[in-house]
Amino acid sequence: MAATLCAKLLPKHGWLPLTQSVRHGSKAVTRHRKPIPFLKQKLLAVTQYVPPVRGAPPGAYPSKSQEDQEENGFMRLQKNHLRKVFEDCRMIAVVQNNNCNAEDMLILRHRLHKHGISVKFFPKKVTLSFLSNSSYCNMAPLFIGPSVLFVSKEPKVREMLSTLRASPQMVLLGACVDDMLLSVQSLVKYSKLPSMTVVQGELVSGLTMLTSCTASMLQRHPAHLSVLLQQYVKQQSDAEPAAKAEEAT
Amino acid sequence: MISLFKAVACRAHGHQQVPFQSCLKILAAGMKSFTVPPDYSDVVLPEKPKLKFLNKVPNLKKAKKEMRKLRDIQGPAKAANSFDKGQFGILAMGGGYLHWGHMEMMRLTINRKMDSRTTFARWRINAPYKPLTRKSLGHRMGGGKGAIDKYVTPVRAGRLIVELGGKVELGEIEEVLTEVAKKLPFPAKVVSRESLAEMQRTQQEMEQNNQNPWTFKRIAQGNMMGLRRVISPFDLHNHGRFSGKFHFPWRV
Repeated sequence: MAATLCAKLLPKHGWLPLTQSVRHGSKAVTRHRKPIPFLKQKLLAVTQYVPPVRGAPPGAYPSKSQEDQEENGFMRLQKNHLRKVFEDCRMIAVVQNNNCNAEDMLILRHRLHKHGISVKFFPKKVTLSFLSNSSYCNMAPLFIGPSVLFVSKEPKVREMLSTLRASPQMVLLGACVDDMLLSVQSLVKYSKLPSMTVVQGELVSGLTMLTSCTASMLQRHPAHLSVLLQQYVKQQSDAEPAAKAEEAT
Repeated sequence: MISLFKAVACRAHGHQQVPFQSCLKILAAGMKSFTVPPDYSDVVLPEKPKLKFLNKVPNLKKAKKEMRKLRDIQGPAKAANSFDKGQFGILAMGGGYLHWGHMEMMRLTINRKMDSRTTFARWRINAPYKPLTRKSLGHRMGGGKGAIDKYVTPVRAGRLIVELGGKVELGEIEEVLTEVAKKLPFPAKVVSRESLAEMQRTQQEMEQNNQNPWTFKRIAQGNMMGLRRVISPFDLHNHGRFSGKFHFPWRV
């Protein structure tokens, strides 16, 4: 019977038995963890949960609304002071303060005070808000980190540089001298320039030398010509009697 | 003159320093703000606040032997997976069978330790109803299925076992519940309404914010690389979060 059935059914390809007689047994193993096939282990490893990247904590960046709100009276007062400083002073140097202690700062202040340079501290928020609205807005990038202003009514760059050489904590970033924004290199060049009176004297002396030179040249030239002419006349007069003598012979 | 004055001042200062510091006492006044106690005005305690006694054997006319049917502890719980009346409870974090001994242990511990005037407790499981058979000791194999040994209650992962409520806070009964939860035959933990909602919320967030583009669901449903060969149909529904009675809450 089975043989005949097989003979009848075998030629049909792609036929599946209607009822599967394979016994699978109990699969819901619950007493222990089932050994996991390698492929499934890989699948589980690939499909693990990956948490999203944590953003910056809420207090990390100041909010823009906070900046607008904190325009109080004290800030306005400081801003007015700063405006006065910028109006009065011809030299405004921005110096980065790298953890300078009070004693060093006192000594530095004293040394600068000898040359009439004063040290001013302004909060960064105040300075930036002042600079953004003023014509000095190009100075804003200099105010990074704790910064100090060295201001003086006269542009005493050389004295300031020599004083700053003694204090390595203070790093000069740039300065605004006579409404001119200068970098450190240009400040050094500026300091090497002679003083204004010397330059003016040099200029005057140069100009006077030129005029005297032309005057002397002007004086010299006609005399020289007359001498030359006299020489020529003299030579001519010497040559004439000789020529007459030759004709005669 | 100035030096004399200085010396006097120093002396006076030196004299004064010790007694001044000794009688210097910083008096600080402050306001103590107490937290507002929870409002229990709408809590109604039931007449019988304690856990009921559960029958060891169901009252059947004819006890019938059943097949093992391990499916009844497999996968997530469909029933009793959220709070009904109480506030705090024991949550099963895996599947397993509870027998009468466990229930007695829970009942006695909780009834003894809880304050029945302010707290009530409720079962969220049924009395043991599933018969387990066993051949008697020293019996030879064969000869048919053994006699019914005991009755158990199947519990799936995510089911609440006991619920507590009333005019209590979690801190008062947490100790009792953790003590009980440790003795259960599956991993269990103490939850409150809020913490259960929090668990469900974090699970949803994990599913939404998963940065891994290859999820189990996607691969299994798409039959990628023919992986359905090694995945059971059970995994198609649970996405690898359950394996038999085991539950993996960290998977998505």
